[in-house]
Amino acid sequence: MSADEVLAGVVRDRWGRLVAGLFARFRRLDLVEDALADAVEAAARTWPRDGVPASPAGWLYTVAVRRVVDRLRTEAVAARKHPLLVAEVERRAGSETMADPGGLVEDDLLRLVLMCCHPAVAPEVACALALRLVVGVPAADIARLFLVGEATMAARLTRGKRKIAAAGIPFAVPGADVLPERLGVVAQTAYLAFTAGYAPGSGADLLRADLAGTAVRLARVASGLRPEEPVLRALLALVLLQHSRRDARVDDVGRLVLLPDQDRSRWHREEVEEGSRVLASVPAGGTPLTENYRLQAVVAAEHALAGRAQDTRWDRICAAYTALAEVNPSPSVRLAHAVAVAERDGAVAGLAALDGLDEPLGRSHRLPAIRAELLARAGDTMAAASAYERAIALCGNDVERAHLEQRRALVIRRRG
Amino acid sequence: MRYTILLAADPAVWDAAGPEERRRIMAAHDAFDAEVLARGAVVGGEALDAAATATTVRHDGQGRLVVTDGPYVELVEQLGGFYVVDLPDLDAAVAACALLPDYYAVEIRPVLDVGELSRS
Repeated sequence: MSADEVLAGVVRDRWGRLVAGLFARFRRLDLVEDALADAVEAAARTWPRDGVPASPAGWLYTVAVRRVVDRLRTEAVAARKHPLLVAEVERRAGSETMADPGGLVEDDLLRLVLMCCHPAVAPEVACALALRLVVGVPAADIARLFLVGEATMAARLTRGKRKIAAAGIPFAVPGADVLPERLGVVAQTAYLAFTAGYAPGSGADLLRADLAGTAVRLARVASGLRPEEPVLRALLALVLLQHSRRDARVDDVGRLVLLPDQDRSRWHREEVEEGSRVLASVPAGGTPLTENYRLQAVVAAEHALAGRAQDTRWDRICAAYTALAEVNPSPSVRLAHAVAVAERDGAVAGLAALDGLDEPLGRSHRLPAIRAELLARAGDTMAAASAYERAIALCGNDVERAHLEQRRALVIRRRG
Repeated sequence: MRYTILLAADPAVWDAAGPEERRRIMAAHDAFDAEVLARGAVVGGEALDAAATATTVRHDGQGRLVVTDGPYVELVEQLGGFYVVDLPDLDAAVAACALLPDYYAVEIRPVLDVGELSRS
């Protein structure tokens, strides 16, 4: 392995632990992240020349500690503080090797995750902080994931770090009475980051689906820290199964490919298998949040395990959506349920299941797009064409609009 | 950490409360006090008279002072009181605030060290 590959690997696998260890020691989020970024930069410069150190993570930690101490010393001098305070900085610098590589570091990582995903931190800020500090995603990539400019994302991260410090958000694992709820917030944060990667953008969004993979890593880290927590396992199963289809969603020329038409050989089988395995370990009947993720994962697993589109077990998917609507009665769940009903019982039944969704989903292109599809299947091409018109007018995403225009042209041609 | 805890509530709830309900509200404040004392200290706090008794003072930007009747912002929920507490962290503050009467909206604000501010 080249020095660059070793560095990329250690940044990918150890970043969160390094941040957590440095924060446990210095309690300065603002300095810790910069110091670690400096250390990575130094490694990129020196490792190819001098060789990879025996303990790459230990090397980064040591260099980052020196950087933080330098900054603290500069601050102490700038504030013209008593020489004793400078001496205190020196003392805290102490030994420059990593204190404990084992269980304590894992505890620190859990503390870091809980601190970033604290309910007092706004969800979009928590996402950014967790991806940056726990997973080590560059700020520019997080900006692309959330469709905001790099300056906006930098400001969001700074705001988050300041909120944590100023509000006194603890670097601690709360008691057993509060912990499950807090792990629920962790799951929601990771899922929000994940869905951002699949949210319709204005251009082609292949790259952003790739970035959703960073949220899968966040879900994996969280679940690894608390493997017995059902909500984290349900979430991990869900994102693994949904993300396994990413490469089949868009064809070679950037057009959207819907589930039935996807080339199933392009689904990531190992992720489907892992997701299914994790899903099987989540008991039914958990908290509403756990059930929300578990039942969506059940749907994703049914799709993933069907060898061909026509082998899909729509009765099971309908049952999962019916149960999902109990814990998550949102219009989008009812819409998905209607689609499943159409597959099980035919287009006319599906159209009936769309009743009552016009008001809550009036501004989304998805409802008219689905109605158009079902009307076309039911043979009402006039109504289908006009529903496609409406969907095209409401759609804000290039890839999806191109798909809708293609469908409308097809329906009109068939009629003619 | 020092926090100021701002208590906002619809005053109509207290006005309409019977003696039993009022005892329950006061007991919630006692429970809050006990929780804060267990983890830190109550530094201060006051209950405030109705927002209708407030007077707001502003400068109009042309050097004149404008004194008006009423609070600086009119809402159904009004500032009804505050505590100043010393607690280890935000979770401790949230745990204590959870014990306050359930019709309150409670805002937890970290207190700045003004001495530190003027030196920096």
